This record gives sequence, C-alpha cells and structure tokens, in this order.
Amino acid sequence: MAQMHRHRLRYEKTGRAIYISHLDTMALFQRAFLRAGLSIWQTEGFNRHAYVSIALPLSVGFSSVCEVMEFDLESEVPLEEVPERLNAVLPEGVRVLECYEARDPFKLLRMLDWQITLEYDNGVPDGVEEAFRKMLDVPGLVIQKPSKKSKKGFTELDLIPMIFDWHIEPAEERTLRLNCRLAAQNPSLNPQLLLETFSERCPSMAPDFIRYRRKEIYLENGEKFR
Amino acid sequence: MDPRLERILLRVQKPARYTGGEYHAVIKDKNEVNTRFAFCFPDTYEIGMSNLGMRILYGIMNEMEGVWCERCFAPWGDMEAEMRQANIPLWALESGDPIRDFDFIGFSLGYEMAYTNVLNMLDLAGVPLHTWERGEDDPIVVAGGTCAYNGEPLADFVDIFSLGEGENVTSEMLELYQNCRQEGWNRADYLRKAAQIPGLYVPSLYQVTYNEDGTVAAITPEEGVPPVVTKRIVQDLDQSYFPIKTIIPSTEIVHDRVMLEVFRGCIRGCRFCQAGYCYRPVRPKSPDKLLEQGIESCKLSGYQEMTLSSLSTSDYRPLEQLCDGLLGYCEPRNINLSVPSLRADNFSMALEQRLQRARKSSFTFAPEAGTQRLRDTINKNVTEADLMNACKTVFEGGGNAVKLYFMLGLPTETDEDVLGIADLAQKVYLNWKQNASYRARGVRITVSTSFFVPKPFTPFQWEPQITMEEYQRRVDLLRNAVKSNKSIIYDWHDPDTSYVEAILARGDRRLGSAIEEVWRRGGRLDAWSEYFDFDRWIDSIRSVGLDPEFYVRRERPYEELLPWSMISVGVRPSYLWRERNQAYKSVVTPDCRKQCMGCGADRLLCDRKCDEILPISARARTEGEG
Repeated sequence: MAQMHRHRLRYEKTGRAIYISHLDTMALFQRAFLRAGLSIWQTEGFNRHAYVSIALPLSVGFSSVCEVMEFDLESEVPLEEVPERLNAVLPEGVRVLECYEARDPFKLLRMLDWQITLEYDNGVPDGVEEAFRKMLDVPGLVIQKPSKKSKKGFTELDLIPMIFDWHIEPAEERTLRLNCRLAAQNPSLNPQLLLETFSERCPSMAPDFIRYRRKEIYLENGEKFR
Repeated sequence: MDPRLERILLRVQKPARYTGGEYHAVIKDKNEVNTRFAFCFPDTYEIGMSNLGMRILYGIMNEMEGVWCERCFAPWGDMEAEMRQANIPLWALESGDPIRDFDFIGFSLGYEMAYTNVLNMLDLAGVPLHTWERGEDDPIVVAGGTCAYNGEPLADFVDIFSLGEGENVTSEMLELYQNCRQEGWNRADYLRKAAQIPGLYVPSLYQVTYNEDGTVAAITPEEGVPPVVTKRIVQDLDQSYFPIKTIIPSTEIVHDRVMLEVFRGCIRGCRFCQAGYCYRPVRPKSPDKLLEQGIESCKLSGYQEMTLSSLSTSDYRPLEQLCDGLLGYCEPRNINLSVPSLRADNFSMALEQRLQRARKSSFTFAPEAGTQRLRDTINKNVTEADLMNACKTVFEGGGNAVKLYFMLGLPTETDEDVLGIADLAQKVYLNWKQNASYRARGVRITVSTSFFVPKPFTPFQWEPQITMEEYQRRVDLLRNAVKSNKSIIYDWHDPDTSYVEAILARGDRRLGSAIEEVWRRGGRLDAWSEYFDFDRWIDSIRSVGLDPEFYVRRERPYEELLPWSMISVGVRPSYLWRERNQAYKSVVTPDCRKQCMGCGADRLLCDRKCDEILPISARARTEGEG
C-alpha cells in the first residue's frame, strides 16, 4: 500500500502555522501546488484530488524545520524552482526548504532530533540535568501508557531503548533546552511522554510550559534521511 | 503572539481558528493606516469564514487607502473561559491587536440566534455594551446582514445599522469617518452625519414610544434625520467587487470551496421567504464575467471544488451556458462543480449528468407544503406533477435517496395539509417502485419539517406563529402517518429555537434588555444546541417585564405600526399586504418573469430593468454616455 512517490519536499512549520493539524496541512499543500501552477499526480476514483503524503504526522503545537512530504510532480519544471514557487503561495509559517527526488523509503526513517524548550516562570530550578540523568541512566525505564486496545487500559513501554542521545543546556532567561535524539518509527517515542514522565517523577522540577521542535530526521545508521 | 495565548492555544479545541496567518490574509503597515475596522462574525470561525458577504466587504475595505479591515470570530466556550481567566481581550486575527482600540467594530447578522454572541464579543473586547455608554475613544459599532432589516432588538448595542448590500455604503461610511476625524468632529456629530448616508440607520436618533397594549405608538426621528431608511443595492454586479483573491483558511471550514454568486434577488416570491423579498430586485451577472471570475478564483485559491450560489440557481437563465464554460476549465483539472438550490419544476437530469453527478444518489427538493392548496397559499409554485417528474428522473437515473423539506405551521395549514406531506412521501415511494432502475438497493425518502417562523418584510409579517404544542401535535400526526413505510424517514426540528427566533425576528427595541439578561445569565453560541437553553430565554424575557407570546402569537392588523416601519427594502408594504390577502385566497402570484407584479423594488434600479443581463457592448455604451 505504501507506494513510494518520486518527489519530496523538505519544509518548515513554525510560528502561527504550528497549530495547523496534520490533515489540514495536507489539504494546504494540495491547494498550494495548484496555486503555484504545479501539477501533481491526482488520486483516481470518484473524488479525485491532488495526492500528497507526509512522512511523520506532526502534533498540533509542535514546530518543525525538517518535515518531509512526498508526491509526484507532473509539470516539467526544474526541481530547484519548486520551493520558490510554493513559498510564494504558502501561508505564514510554512516554508519549503528543498524539493528533490525521493531517496530513502519512508519506512527507513528511524530517528528524530528534538529541541525541547523547558520554560520555568519562576526561574530554572537547580538540578534538572542531574534529575534527568538519574531518571535515564538506568538499564530500563518502563512506564505505563494509556491504551484503548489493551484490556488493562494501558500498555507498558520501556523508554530507554528509544532514547539515543540527550543533553541539557541553559537557554534564554528562565528556560532550559533539552536536545535529544529519539526513536521516530516502529516504535516511536513522543517526547511529550518523556517530559510527562519526568514531571511526574520530579514534580518540583516540572516546567510550566514546554515547546517541542523537530530539528532533523535520520536513518538507522545515523545518516540524514532524504 | 501573546505568550499567554501560546499556552492557551494548546489547551483548546481546533486552535488554528484563533491564530490567523492564512494565505491572502491582509497584513498592512500600521503607519499607513488611519482607520481600523474589526469585522466580527458572531459565530465560530468555520461558520464565519464560509460567509461570502464577509469576504466581499473585507476585500473592499482593504482596497481603501488608510483602512485596515481585520477579522474576529466568536470563541468557542473553552477558549472564552481561557480568555476570561487570563484577561485577554478579544483580538483581531491579522494583527493580534485588541479590537477595543479599533475605530469600527462591525457585525454580520445572519441569524437571530447569534444576538447573544454580539453582546458577548463586545464584552470580551472590553467595549461598553450600550451605545449611550460609549465615549470618544470607543469604537463605532456597526451591523449589517439580513437580520439588520429589523435590528431593533439590538438597537441598544449597535450605533449604526447598514441596510442591504454593503459594497458601496461601507466605503462611504468609512470615508465620512476619515473626513470627520480631519475636521475634528466628535462621535455624536459623526453619527448624525452618517444617518444622512442612504442605507445607514442610526437607531439612537429615533425615539420609539409604545401604546398601553405594547404595540409601537410612534417612531420619531430627531430633527433632520430621515424618517425612512431604504436599503442599498449594487446596481451592476458585473462591475462590482468580487473576492477572487480571498483568504484560504488553513483549517477546514463549512463551505471550503470557491463560491460564485450568479445573481442576487429571486424571481419567485415565496410568501414565507424573507430573502426572496429583501434581496430584490433581481440582478443577474453576465455569464462571461462569471466564467472569468470562476476560473480566476480556482487559480488563486487552489480549490478543487466550486459551487454556484444564489437563492434559486436553476432560475439563472444562462445556467447551461455558464456550466459548459466552467466545466471546460474544471473537468480537465478535476475540479468539482456543484449547483445547489435547484427547483423541482425545472430540474434537469441533463444538467446533473453534465455536472458529473450521474453517480450522485441523493437529491433534495423543497415542496415546503403537503397540498397544492397550501403550496398555492405560500406561492411555492411547484406542483405535485413537477415533483413526480423530478423524482422519476432521479430514480430512472439510479438515484436511491430523496430528501423532501417542508414547513409546519404555515398560515391556514390544516390537518389535511399535514397529512398531505405523508401522502406526497408515499407517492414518491410509489414513483420509485415504478421507475427505479435498480430496486434491490432499496430507497430512502427523508421527510424533514421545520417550524415556520414569520419574518419581517414578507407577506406573512403580520401572522402569528402557531403554538409549540400545536406544532408538536402536527409532528405527531405526520409521524403516525408515515411510520408504516420503513423507507420513509421523518426528521423534525425541535420547536424551541424557532419559537425564540420568532420572538426576535419581529421584536422591538425593548427586547434589548431581554437579550442582555439572557447573556448575563450565560447565554451565548445559541445557534448551537449544546449551548441553547430555552428556559433561560423565556425566563429572561419575562424578567424584564415582556411577554414572549406578545411577539409570537399575536396577529398584527394592517394598521399597526410595525417596529421596523422606518426601514424600506424597496418592496412596498401595500404589496406585501396584497400578497398576504392572495395567500388567504390561495391565489398564486406568477413569478417575476411571467409578469411583473409591481412590488416596487425595481425603483431601486437606476439605469436598467429588473432581471436584465446587459450585454457587454450595451454596458460600454451607457458608461460612455455617463
């Protein structure tokens, strides 16, 4: 079913655009291609529409500078012209970085770099990094995740094998930055789960607000996914 | 963006409707702007962004030098709670600035149940609710739309009502304001001057007195203020602004497609229909212009769906020519063209097939009443034979679902008329049995009834509404009559909302305090069943000393001074009364094309006839002369 299409876009979703849902983002690009006068392959069937597919759905409220979408361009147009033409007709916050021939199948996408900003309204508490280290420097960290499928109402999940790398640094005033590389597919670790786990374990260090941003995507061997 | 808002947006449903930043949203340099207008739609983003009128006025205002029109919608309950908690005043989507600092706040009033939202939005904005509380630094609150024809229930809250089509009068109102500021006039001066602009009604300049029985005794304009305000219309729709380049929402809205308005007005004269009278005279656009605008709209939007809109699209004379032209562009690009508002008496399967809808299985018709006698009374000139022909075409073409819309509680309706609906549905069923090309699939005939609400500026503006109990009795009667046939599904509207609508539609300005009370007791988003509370409405109206039944149940004599008597939509009240009398005799009035009955609306036209498409060459000539 997951057929690979020939062309890809790498694009950013930041600012006001982070509130646009996954489905709305697809509709937005379908229209943007038509506005840009770029013809792309349309689905067959009764309700034909321009076809696009996004590699990894992005949660509402998360920003990203490494989104990937695929499609089949039918217009005879040099790929390097595509970003400019699309950017002229895209809403604020959505910006195409690059258009290229697809290389790696979506299923090989394995890891994501996240930049997570922890905001503390009353100043950053001491010892956040140590607390993280204490939580993650263990052979296994099994947590319960709510699940509708399971009879018990939750499933058990070990976070450790899905965290490849992490470090914390001070950022702007009253904020810390957690940079981490997490599993992205089969299985994937939503960074929100990681931060919820932290906040539950260390309530005194729970941030008042957290921003999530995707920075880069990788293959299993650590090469960038393209 | 306000950092508090960033946190809130992650806690509310569908945050994209609160952020703006859509493609084609207009951003201006504040240094080059001297007049800021907040176009407020008193319902959610998804509803408001589907409104063509708003898109037209947004475009027109933003083309004006020095003017920046921005948008604002009613927040859903979760967002409102967050805004109140964090003390964030209502802001405009484009700039994010609080609208209380704007020069104008404009509301589009399409539905009576949005009235509490008007108050709620003013309150959320931090603007004083009542016109008399507003000072020099407060925005001018204006309102337009269909409900503005009788805006009296909102007279306490609205500084200026704009009557009719806003294309021209809106810029006149803003230009006057810009002059007014240069000349250093105050608010009161401005409002008095504005009242001189045709189509602008300033309710605070009219004094209304009442008789002991509660009816209006007199409507007295202040000196120099026009006693009657006549609605405005666009003379030439082809030359008028059309929003080809319009905002493309980044989140799904109700009508998420290109909307192409083919004409304004209606030739039909259905006696219950407010739009049919208020939007007269009939002004078609030329097919050439529509074709050009339709194609450009698709190109600039990227939509793969287009719909033709009007009150009765199958009455557009060059409809087939227009569809052929549009399909020539749409078909190769897989753009779906849809044509709603088709009538049973001129339904064409040939057209349906051309629209690639041969595979569409469900068709909707609105006979409105169950017997010919009652259809004649309401002047819905559709016969049973028309409906049967249309259904035959549908069923032969493979359709297996028909929806039939009716009203209960129409003037002169008897049980025979109610049972006539069941009869008609049964005949449609037999029609299917006889004509269905493929019967194994079965058929679904959906009968829907709504509760008739008498509206101002219609021949039924003097009529009482039947009681809710009587409506329910007629619903039960009909339900029993159709229940033996499992292929007929009956849906009926609850009468509560229609009862409140009936109060407000023909209300006077005393109802302002009642609406305020409803809002103070928590009323808002009343068009949504999860928010609407019937008892809150009735209790609030009574608590300010008014009787709901006075507005709903009373038959008005012709001599009575109606609360909206200072407004003219062009159609003479004497014409409406004549139509009312014809209704009681079940005498039909031919449509405007068969014979002009002299309703009076054509007097609004300057250089052309009602329902006339001027050929481009003729237009060039008249303009050359002008």
